[in-house]
Amino acid sequence: MLDGLVITRRFDTPTWLLALVFLAGIAAGLAMATALLVAIGVPASALFNEVIGEAFMTASGLAQTLTFATPLICVGLSAAVALRLRFWNIGIEGQLWLGALGATAVALGDVGPEATRLPLMLVAAALAGAAWIALPLVLKLRLGVSEVISTLLLGSIAFLFAQHLLFGAWRDPATGFPISLAFDASERLAALGFGRTHLGLPIALAAALLVWFLVDVTRLGFYGRAVGENIEAARAAGVPVIAVTCAFVLLSGALSGLAGGLIVAGTEHRMSLTLGAGYTFSGIVIAFLGRFRPLATVVVAVIIGGVFTASDVFKVFYGISEAVVVLLQGLVLFGVLVAQFFGAYRISRANWGASA
Amino acid sequence: MTETAIAHPAGDGRPVSPGAGAPPGTPPALELAGVHKAFDGKPALIDAGFTLRRGEVHALVGENGAGKSTLMNVATGVYAADAGRELVDGELVRIRGPVDAAAAGLGMVHQHFRLVPRFTVAENVRLALGRRAGSPAAAAALVAAKAEKIGFPVRPDARVADLSVAERQRAEILKVLLLGARVLILDEPTAVLTEQESDALLAFTARLATQGGSVVLITHKLREVAARADRVTVMRQGRTVLDGAPIASVSSAEVARLAVGATVAPVARPRRAPGGPALTVDGLAHRRDDGGVTLDGLTLSLREGEVLGLAGVGGNGQSELVACLAGLAAPRAGSVALAGRDITTASPAARRDLGLRVVPADRFAFGLIRGFSVADNLALAALRRGRYGAPFGVARRRIRRDAEAAIRDHEIHGAAPGRSTGLLSGGNAQKVLLARELDDAVRVLVAHSPTRGLDVRAAQAVQAAIAAAAERGVACLLISEDLEELMALSARIAVINRGRIVGEMPVEDASAAALGALMVGHA
Ligand SMILES: Nc1ncnc2c1ncn2[C@@H]1O[C@H](COP(=O)(O)OP(=O)(O)O)[C@@H](O)[C@H]1O
Ligand SMILES: [Mg+2]
Repeated sequence: MLDGLVITRRFDTPTWLLALVFLAGIAAGLAMATALLVAIGVPASALFNEVIGEAFMTASGLAQTLTFATPLICVGLSAAVALRLRFWNIGIEGQLWLGALGATAVALGDVGPEATRLPLMLVAAALAGAAWIALPLVLKLRLGVSEVISTLLLGSIAFLFAQHLLFGAWRDPATGFPISLAFDASERLAALGFGRTHLGLPIALAAALLVWFLVDVTRLGFYGRAVGENIEAARAAGVPVIAVTCAFVLLSGALSGLAGGLIVAGTEHRMSLTLGAGYTFSGIVIAFLGRFRPLATVVVAVIIGGVFTASDVFKVFYGISEAVVVLLQGLVLFGVLVAQFFGAYRISRANWGASA
Repeated sequence: MTETAIAHPAGDGRPVSPGAGAPPGTPPALELAGVHKAFDGKPALIDAGFTLRRGEVHALVGENGAGKSTLMNVATGVYAADAGRELVDGELVRIRGPVDAAAAGLGMVHQHFRLVPRFTVAENVRLALGRRAGSPAAAAALVAAKAEKIGFPVRPDARVADLSVAERQRAEILKVLLLGARVLILDEPTAVLTEQESDALLAFTARLATQGGSVVLITHKLREVAARADRVTVMRQGRTVLDGAPIASVSSAEVARLAVGATVAPVARPRRAPGGPALTVDGLAHRRDDGGVTLDGLTLSLREGEVLGLAGVGGNGQSELVACLAGLAAPRAGSVALAGRDITTASPAARRDLGLRVVPADRFAFGLIRGFSVADNLALAALRRGRYGAPFGVARRRIRRDAEAAIRDHEIHGAAPGRSTGLLSGGNAQKVLLARELDDAVRVLVAHSPTRGLDVRAAQAVQAAIAAAAERGVACLLISEDLEELMALSARIAVINRGRIVGEMPVEDASAAALGALMVGHA
């Protein structure tokens, strides 16, 4: 059937076509997601209400969506920054765990005066995240070790480290559960007075602005694109390749770490072993859907936050499993990635020997 | 292109009558007529035609981008034409892909070989032939037997990755012949070969033709093919401008004029008297990661305003020399000095600051960035000099204006500041690179095969840019395998062989024979 079709690469794809293809991809992904949800027993009539209505149109739903979006913005930025350099950070969760641990250590250890406690917690979170990605970075730069494997495996090690602390030194002595003691009031990000949203949201937005400035405005950002596209050509043109790589990759780790800090200081108010799951996947999905652009990442993170909110509803009312949430994100990403093909290629009917 | 007649030299021993193997009245082995093909609306073939007789070697010539490869890709079903007709042995055919092409007896060896590097030659043949190849042993026997029959040495059990380019090409030809090709299409086969290897290949194609095979030889190097082809077809900008003329009936100058659409004047050698020392390389040594010696105490020196030609067969250390000079590879011993300052261990950035510029053999390896716009590629190196503002911003508008000026001044066709560089033709991409490297601050230019793969006009523009730079006082190290180019531009020519300089002479004393002997000598 495909026999009669000819595929030709386009020289330039007009912007309207890129937009169209992107939207069509999202639509196709949502259609697949809808089919999936209907197949597992969510009534089709309820879908619109739950997703659009519940996640974005009601105050409590929107607040919940924005709360989810806060760390998602950070991990989306983290993935986008690394991927701009073609550095595959598959260890976002690991850096996020370290960030959460860093912030918790400052909180539980009552480090510094109370006034500077929160800033210190977030700085510790970012530094811990950066430190956790520094090892794969050095391995890659010095020995050429693929970051795909090293960041992934360090993610597991980070989780085991968190387990070690929560089953050991930091275990809540009152209950015996593997969770830390709750943070003091001075160690919690202030609520914004809109559902559970907290100061973490403006902090994440500020981070997005900062990343936008770095990658889209400054010379460092220009160099980063060059390193990502062709590292040898960049080096030969006088780009300080090592410094640029370090800056981008450490920034990626710091953003993931910050996500962990915002989760413990903003919503959980204690360290636990459930708070970090799934963020690597979400981060990469968000980065791709936002086409590695910092400000688009924010928008996509809010949409994915809505998917989380809606999924919570589905979980409660229709008994769907956690895995379905991952599947939904995956389907939308799949739709967009497949649709990109239609932006890059023109498809027409074959015309062999027309004059014959 | 020099003004030599391209009729067969007397005493060559080759039959001069075209299509010697076929009796009169035999239908053409392959005929294409009225072929149209556009890529994304951009026409690549416009009413193109081509007729190949049984038993002939047919040269298909034209500049880069003339549509030669596209026409043959249409013939073998790689691309679907928008219109046109194709006949094989007088029968109308419709070729939709490699299977149809093989069934019709058409085989093409592409510019980029289609072999699995990790497989042996025999395994590649099995992959192509499928069940017909039989057991691994049978396939190996098949390869050996065919190689024997056509007098073409190919080892069936050699891994393709371990073979030289010429050997890979033979393996590819053998594979295509085993697939049943009676029409063999070779796309720029001599572009990757040394002169001796080219001679061997051309002798083989001539032999194949006398045995009744038909060969299409795509090229833009006329001279070497002329002596071995029966007829020639010339393409220009998607059209067939000379359709199958007997080679004895046209001069190479005429073919060149038809291909280019105009005559191209040769570039004059820069005449400026050399100034002070610019680049001094002393005893440079380098090894590959596997320990193989690539540079073995190489010494040369270059003065301001001088073009030093470096001749040599590819793979004798030229690429490593360029990498060491660019600061992308570390020499094991020796030193490099630029205008008296030691830069042996300096970073590429520091070398740039001192005025060193490099044009590598593969312009997309460490020259240009394919996915970058033309403007961004042009701006990349100047950013650190602060031309486009402080580190916290990038002066986009200025980058754009500079790019527009460069595109105009260097006549970079098909370029716009925002256009992706990877979409440019080879010649125009090379002009972008030269425009960037020959900036105001250049003092030493190292250019490695800067005109390889370029058509006559683009090559001329690149050579003119190098000559003009030398006239301005830039010291130029021109590394090339093209002796004609070296002799046209250089004041002195040195020869590199196995990582060392084995001879050096003023251009007045240089001859192709003398240089050639040094290039292949086992000194
Ligand atoms: N796959 C392709 N996609 C888009 N354009 C192409 C493709 N192949 C060839 N072209 C264009 O078609 C024209 C003819 O190219 P080609 O046949 O490769 O020329 P030649 O082999 O004579 O150098 C050029 O302008 C080239 O850019
Ligand atoms: Mg070609």
